[in-house]
Order: sequence, then structure tokens, then C-alpha cells
Amino acid sequence: MAAAAEARGGDFPVGMKVLVVDDDPTCLVVLKRMLLECRYDVTTCPQATRALTMLRENRRGFDVIISDVHMPDMDGFRLLELVGLEMDLPVIMMSADSRTDIVMKGIKHGACDYLIKPVRMEELKNIWQHVVRKKFNENKDHEHSGSLDDTDRNRPTNNDNEYASSANDGGDGSWKSQKKKREKEEDEADLESGDPSSTSKKPRVVWSVELHQQFVNAVNHLGIDKAVPKKILELMNVPGLTRENVASHLQKFRLYLKRIAQHHAGIPHPFVAPASSAKVAPLGGLEFQALAASGQIPPQALAALQDELLGRPTSSLALPGRDQSSLRLAAIKGNKPHGEREIAFGQPIYKCQNNAYGAFPQSSPGVGGLPSFGAWPNNKLGMTDSPSALGNVSNSQNSNLLLHELQQQPDSLLTGTLHNIDVKPSGIVMPSQSLNAFPASEGISPNQNPLVIPSQSQSFLASIPPSMKHEPLLASSSPSNSLLGEIDMVNQASTSQPLISTHGANLPGLMNRSSNAMPSSGICNFQSGNNPYVVNQNAMGVSSRPPGVLKTESTDSLNRSYGYIGGSTSVDSGLLSSQSKNPQYGLLQNPNDITGSWSPSQDIDSYGNTLGQGHPGSTSSNYQSSNVALGKLPDQGRGRNHGFVGKGTCIPSRFAVDEVESPTNNLSHSIGSSADIVNPDIFGFSGQM
Amino acid sequence: MDYSNLWRQIFSMKKSLFDQGYLDEQYNQLEELQDDSSPNFVEEVVALFFKDSSRLLTNIEQALEKYPQDFYRLDSLVHQFKGSGSSIGALRMKNECSMFKAHCNDRNLEGCRRSLQKMKREHATLKQKLETYFQLLRQVGPRERAVNSRK
Repeated sequence: MAAAAEARGGDFPVGMKVLVVDDDPTCLVVLKRMLLECRYDVTTCPQATRALTMLRENRRGFDVIISDVHMPDMDGFRLLELVGLEMDLPVIMMSADSRTDIVMKGIKHGACDYLIKPVRMEELKNIWQHVVRKKFNENKDHEHSGSLDDTDRNRPTNNDNEYASSANDGGDGSWKSQKKKREKEEDEADLESGDPSSTSKKPRVVWSVELHQQFVNAVNHLGIDKAVPKKILELMNVPGLTRENVASHLQKFRLYLKRIAQHHAGIPHPFVAPASSAKVAPLGGLEFQALAASGQIPPQALAALQDELLGRPTSSLALPGRDQSSLRLAAIKGNKPHGEREIAFGQPIYKCQNNAYGAFPQSSPGVGGLPSFGAWPNNKLGMTDSPSALGNVSNSQNSNLLLHELQQQPDSLLTGTLHNIDVKPSGIVMPSQSLNAFPASEGISPNQNPLVIPSQSQSFLASIPPSMKHEPLLASSSPSNSLLGEIDMVNQASTSQPLISTHGANLPGLMNRSSNAMPSSGICNFQSGNNPYVVNQNAMGVSSRPPGVLKTESTDSLNRSYGYIGGSTSVDSGLLSSQSKNPQYGLLQNPNDITGSWSPSQDIDSYGNTLGQGHPGSTSSNYQSSNVALGKLPDQGRGRNHGFVGKGTCIPSRFAVDEVESPTNNLSHSIGSSADIVNPDIFGFSGQM
Repeated sequence: MDYSNLWRQIFSMKKSLFDQGYLDEQYNQLEELQDDSSPNFVEEVVALFFKDSSRLLTNIEQALEKYPQDFYRLDSLVHQFKGSGSSIGALRMKNECSMFKAHCNDRNLEGCRRSLQKMKREHATLKQKLETYFQLLRQVGPRERAVNSRK
């Protein structure tokens, strides 16, 4: 479609199917006319309930939904949630109500955009972007999940071709053909994943710490270069786990490694909460963290682990802006202040409880509330106890939160210093070894994995390092070859997607951390500390853009940056909560988009306050519920929550973290040592990347 | 037939509607949507608006009587009215709705009542002016309108 549009000289795609839901007949008529002027295919419906029925009966019948917020038969946000959950279609909210908090709510609930009435033509002309973006991300997901194996290479290519060649087709044709292809791909993906459900969503796999360790073991065994999902799957031998699950997880992992490498290279990359990855659930970090949080792993062990993983004290991952290296060092050494640390690992495992976030190393005692990594030694691990710190991120978020927390931890330690750090690398990317080192055997019981990373792994988003704030979280676009770079990219990748993927990238990193460490870095480190949004927002799944940004037009950017905004809410909130302490955690995802409120120097407390919650959890908790309800959030983030396989969690195939788009491919190449993921060097600590 | 005089009247009236704040930019958007395929679009939308908004005004009035303390309900009703009005560019009415909502926020019942009266007046005034305006336009004829309306 996009290509077609380009072909036509910038016209928006003709024939895009729009469903408009509004109880106001005047508005409905005007909108319909405007949309027809845009050459879209318009269907109007004055009742939300009927609209929902229509959608259910014909999921593929529409490309985008525009819905009013205040309707008599159903709340617009509710419709938004349901559509997101069930059909995963982009939904644009609109209202005469321009209050920031309402707009924020829309974002949190997963709206692609929020238009203020009266809606103008110019605004409607651009709505096709949301559809394209979403499809593109989904495509990427598929691509990632499948492409790791050679078999699916065609798919992404096909998609690309679709875009490219659509120009030739002309308006309607191209649009439809693209749509068809995508649907086909989605279907394929669905089949592949073995999800018999009628929806295109796949069950989410929760990548518990143990599972992740198994994964890492398998990857190490095969060698990172040779680690293909199929073989990994075989080695892991986990019933119920599909190749696709592994593929997307692997992608994240690679991204994570890249990110670490990037960090190592001293490229501050915002932790960028993997907007999309939020969904993906920073398994790595979270898991790790979860482990940590569960207290199973004594901080010392974690610290040691980290050191080992890192291979060196250098803190390339370090917080951006700040003295990264020092941070890293600190982190590596288990110093708290540099929160950078992957704390994720050491972090007390987030309580699996819904408030996984809470689990975040609340321990970060030092930090204004940020889970300080330094806490490790302190035994922040007890995170589980500090649910409040993290902000009650609901389960889904928990996972993310954890990651964030972990990531943040270092930040928190820095507390003051972190502010400057923009990018907080997701922390130390613990080489897979460390993961292995981790005691999976230590007794981290599977239960400990708080990771139940709910599809809402938005926590990732939350984990955007505060420093990141300026960096587009989702810099997926910049996938660097280095592993670390990947990770950063993930966060930064926001470019490509609305919120997305950055987390995705993180995830891989997280995974490496073995504990789910933070790769969510993007998330954890919301730099913005200043931004109240950050925390809450992130937690909320924030993908919500900073309030300021919420404005319709800008929201797009937000979405992009946050990636998670829609889906990730859950996660975000979690993170936020924890983050609340750390002002830095702004959503950094799109620093640009964010009203820039993410000033690192923001005081967490104030931040937290702004959030309106006395305790970190409050905001997120609210959010959480909404996110949870949505369930979709994760999808939005496109992150995939990897949870326990077989737990029945579903990872919408679409959402696979893969959205992060990144550079998974790059990762494969970027991971030099391939054979030994564990090798800290790989992670870039040694600067090799 | 010489339309120039008629057109002058039409433009002058339109200008005054804008200058006096009865209409805003959104109305222009509506006019832009009008073309050969829907030559009476604006008039149709405006007619639809007034029909629906009358109903809304009645609801608001009733709510003020029956549930005077239910500011949430009042706010919600006025919100609809506001959204509707803004869709056609009814600026003054939109502003009065905002005032009403502010009164609701303050739980100022008397303020709400006064505001409602103003809203009704604005509503009636705008309706009348637009009817006159459309009458002039009709005299010009659709073809002429299509040609000249963009001016």
C-alpha cells in the first residue's frame, strides 16, 4: 500500500477499508464524506456494539477503525481494547475532548492515534500510515520468527516486494494484494505456530528463566552462528514450544546481543523500551531478573555472574550519556551506582505477580526509587517484596518491569547521575554463559519467573533507560552490526514502528542476561525521569505518548517511539512504577516525540507524584488492568511475551518481538563469536562488537 | 440572470458569519467536501446537525430538570452537543458548550442553566442565519455554486 501510494505520487492508498464508529450522526456523515474524499472505502456505524459484531464477523473486512470515545452503548476505550485484542486492527480514537489525560488513556489502551474533533481532512489523509505500520510490523514479526530459519526467507522478501511492486498495481489492486499477502503470511504464521485458534494471535510463550536458560544452552551448544530455531528447538526439547517461538526469541536474543555490543562500543543507546518488544517481553532480562528477584540468586552471585558474563568491567552498556563505561564497570562489578548493570540479572526477580514490576529491584534503595542495580549486592533481589517500587505493573508488565527494573537499577543507583545517561544499555548483557551460570539450578524455580510476561510485556517499554530519552527508543532502524547495537536499536528502532520493537531488541539482550535482564533497557531506562509519563506511561503500557504528545498528530510519533503504547501498556506501567523512582525512565522511546519531558534530571519522586501515584504502582496498576484487559497490549508492542510454554499464554504471532525489526539478521552476523554467546566479548563489552 | 449581486450577498453573509464567530474553519472544510457528486452536502449536513442537536438540547434541558445534581450526565450530554457542533464549525455554540462544561465542573447548577439558555439562543440564531444563507445559495443554483463556492 505504501508503495502504491508512492507510486501514485504520494496519494494515500485507495480503497483502504475504514470503519467509523460514532453515535453522533453529524460527525459520522462528515467523516464519511472526508474519508471518501481520501478515496478510502468507508463504512459507518453509529453503535459500538454493532460495530464490534461487524468486526467479529468479518475481521479482514476492515483495515482501520476510527472510533469516538464517548458513546452511549459502549465506552470507546473498551471497543478499542476489544478490537485490539480480538482483531488486532489499528484503532484511531477521536473525541471533542482534548484533555491530556483522556488522550493519554487512549494511547495507553492501544490507540494508534487520537484525533480531536473536529477532525480535519489532513488528519484523515494520514491514517493509512497506521495500517501500513502495523502490517509492516507484523510482517517483520513473521519475518523474524520465520526467517531465522532459511525457509521463511521468502516471506519477508515477498512482503518487501509487495510494497515495492504495489506501485505497479495501481490503487486498489495494490492495496488489496498487499493485504492479501499479509493475511496469507499471517495465516501461515499461525499455522506454523500451530495455534489452532481462529484468531491470528498465537499463544504467548512465556520465556521463563529456566526456559531461557535452556534456550541459551542450546544456542551456545550450536554456536550463535549456527543456532537456527529448528535446531534450538530440538535441543531444548520442550513440549509445546514451537519453532516460531524459538525463532522470535532468538531474534530478540540476537538483538540483545547486538545491543550489548553496541553498548560496548560505547554507543549510548537508549534503553528504548522496546515498544514493540514490550510485548516480547524482555524475557531475557526479566527472566534474569525474575530469578534475581526471586531471591534465589544472591546478589553476590548475580554480580559475579555479571562480571563473568560481561567479561569485563567495562561498561559499555553503560548509561548513555553518563559515564557509561564507568557505569558499566560499576554494573559489572556489581556496583550499584551504575545501575547500568544488567541488573536485570541481579535484580530481584520481579515478582511474577502481577506486579512484576514491583519485583523490580525495589531494592534500589539508593535511587530515588529506581531500582538500583547496585542493589544487587544489597540484595535487591528481594524485589519481589518491593512490588510497589515497580509500580504495580501487572503481570504482563511485570516481566517488563523487571527488566526495566533491572535496567533501571543501575540507574537508580545513579540516581542523580543517571539522569544524564540517556541510554541505558539494557544493562549488562550477560553472556549467555552467565545465564547458564545462573543458577537455573540455583533454585530459581520456574515459578519464580515472574516473567509471566504477559503479553503485555510492555514493561520493556518502561525499561527504557532514562537516558534514552533523547534517543528514539526504537531505533530499530539503526541496527548496528554489533550486538549491542542491536539492542540499542531495538529501542531506538522506534522508528520503524510505533513503539515497538525496540524492546524487542532488548529482549534478546535481556535474554542474554540470562535473566531477562534488561534488554529491555529501552524500557527501563526511561530517561525521562522527568517525565511523569515515563513511568506511568510506560507502565501503562505506555506506549502512550507523553501527554503532550498525545495530540493526534504527534501521537503517531509517540506510538512509534514507544512502540508499546498500545499494547505494552501493561508493561510499561510496571516499569513505570518502579521507575517512578527514577525519573530517568522516561519513555524514552521517542524522545522526540515525547514532549521532551523526559528530562533525566527529573526527580523521580516528583515524577512518581506526577504520575499521580503516591506509590509507583498506582499508575501502572491502573494501567495494568486496562492492559490486561486488553491483553492486546503486548501485541501492540509487538513484543512477544514469551512465557512458559504450554502455559497457554499466547504470543500473537504477529506480535512477536520480532517486530523490533531489527536487525535480527544483522545480529546473526554481528555476533562474532558466534560459537560462544557467552563470551562476554560478544556482547560488546569487550568492545568487540 | 445576473448572479453577481447575489454572490456578493452570499459572500458578504458568509464573511459576517465568520467575523462574528458563528462559524469557523471547519465550515470551510465542509464546503470543500462539496462537489458535483454531492452538491448539497453542506446543507444536508447542517440540516442533520440541527435536527440532532435539537434533540440533544431537549435532553440537556430535561436532565437539568430531572437530575440537577448529576453533573456527570450533564457534562456527557453537552459533550455530545459540543462534538456535533464542532463538526460543522459552529464556533459560538462550541464555546458556549465549553462554558457549560466548566459550570458542570464547578457543580454550578445556576451557571449551567444560564449556559443552556445561551446555547439555545446560539443554536437558534445559527440555524436561522444558515437557513438564510442556504436560501441565497439555492437561488444561485447548484452549478453556479459549484463553480463559485470555492471563492
